Amino acid sequence: VIREPPPFFHRGPSPLARLTFFMLFAIGLMIADHRFHALATVRLSLSALAQPVQQVAAWPSQLSRRFTDYFTSQQSLLRENQELKAKILEQAALSQEARLLRAEHEYLLGLSAGKSRYAEGGTIAEVVSAARNPFTRKIWVDKGLQQGLRPGMPVIDGIGVVGQVTSVSTFTSEVTLVTEKDQSVPVMILRNGQRAIAVGSGKEGVIDVPFVPLAADVQSGDVFVTSGIDGTYPPGLVVAQVTSVEKNAALPFTKIAAKPLAGVENHRFVLILPSPPTMAPRPESKPGDDAKKSARERGAPRRAR
Amino acid sequence: VRPADLTPVARDVAKIPASAALMFFSLAATFLFSALPWSGNWLLARPDLVLLVLLFWTVNEPRSMGQGMAFFMGLLMDVSDSMLLGQHALAYVVAVFGAQTLRHRILSFPLPEQTLHVLGLTLAASLTMLLLNLALGADAPSGMFLVSPLLTALGWAPAHWILYSPAVRRRRREVSS
Repeated sequence: VIREPPPFFHRGPSPLARLTFFMLFAIGLMIADHRFHALATVRLSLSALAQPVQQVAAWPSQLSRRFTDYFTSQQSLLRENQELKAKILEQAALSQEARLLRAEHEYLLGLSAGKSRYAEGGTIAEVVSAARNPFTRKIWVDKGLQQGLRPGMPVIDGIGVVGQVTSVSTFTSEVTLVTEKDQSVPVMILRNGQRAIAVGSGKEGVIDVPFVPLAADVQSGDVFVTSGIDGTYPPGLVVAQVTSVEKNAALPFTKIAAKPLAGVENHRFVLILPSPPTMAPRPESKPGDDAKKSARERGAPRRAR
Repeated sequence: VRPADLTPVARDVAKIPASAALMFFSLAATFLFSALPWSGNWLLARPDLVLLVLLFWTVNEPRSMGQGMAFFMGLLMDVSDSMLLGQHALAYVVAVFGAQTLRHRILSFPLPEQTLHVLGLTLAASLTMLLLNLALGADAPSGMFLVSPLLTALGWAPAHWILYSPAVRRRRREVSS
């Protein structure tokens, strides 16, 4: 059987024409996705197609987890249980204190209860897998639109900020880690309130803090917590600890390296907080401001003007 | 006068058309393989079996498989790997176009030389993806990234044995009966 027809039969556009068409289409898609984030629905419907396969693919790892859970020794369970009980007692004192402080704080700020700056509740999710993308740092969790997750929600673990929900499908969500390149979190130093922006470096366990002036008081060992001025993260969540500070008069800013404190790369359960209540609208930026300048202004501490 | 060498043509003609179900299941199975929880260096070295199957059917069943299917599978891979939509699609379309162009040349060689040709195509797909990500500002991944196209190409001969053995067996039954 000859299965290829002779070339004089018409068979649609030539391979080269098809290649050109598909390449342009793919580039168009990439621009739409990268620049305008316009393809959420396309992604959602395609992920519905891929969902059953992905679920089947997750079976082996789930089985092995169940297996190890089942065969954990009683000894280690007892030890863990005792440790957790001790931790609960410690935290109980802290949380009662925090409740009191928060009530006082809200009273002092004259905020009505509905406009609280603090996030309440949250959804506990299990990490399904790391995203299979060698160029980015993302994880998948097993909660999605069905459980009320929305893009933009902050994700924390027992210690601090893990990242942010960036895309949500029906039953799963993608969380971009704080170490992802250019993933930025507005932070302040817990010790003195110095504001800065923590930016992921794309490497495991390294967070950069650019645009901090040379005169700023930053020491090795300082802890960065979220400042809450962006309306994405509630204030006071631990982000990173300063590992090295380099002040060089030749450079306009202090060179700060920090490491994330939360178990960003290794955790099984995370807590997804609801987005904080919407904030007052931002002031209009002056015309002629380029992106770099405004980033610098946001990063630099407020000086008396 | 030596008779003209008709082996490639003869080999092509003797082939048995593969069923649409086999194509579908081969694509589904390889997609499942790539959706396993890969991470770290394993992820970098993960052979792209979806691309291998696409190339295989493009070379052997050019009328049933082409750039449209490659584009669609690429989109699925992008969603499953949470990449920018269109990266895998572009890389797959480029590789499948190469397979369409080199088809007759590839089929005129025995399997080891075919594998070398396929290595060229898988490298082209990987480099397309690498260049796209570098252009988007990602850091260059480690050298393990080049292991993936190599492993993919090495799967060419096994793909032949697996994907053609059902048809060959059927053919043998027909001949013997």
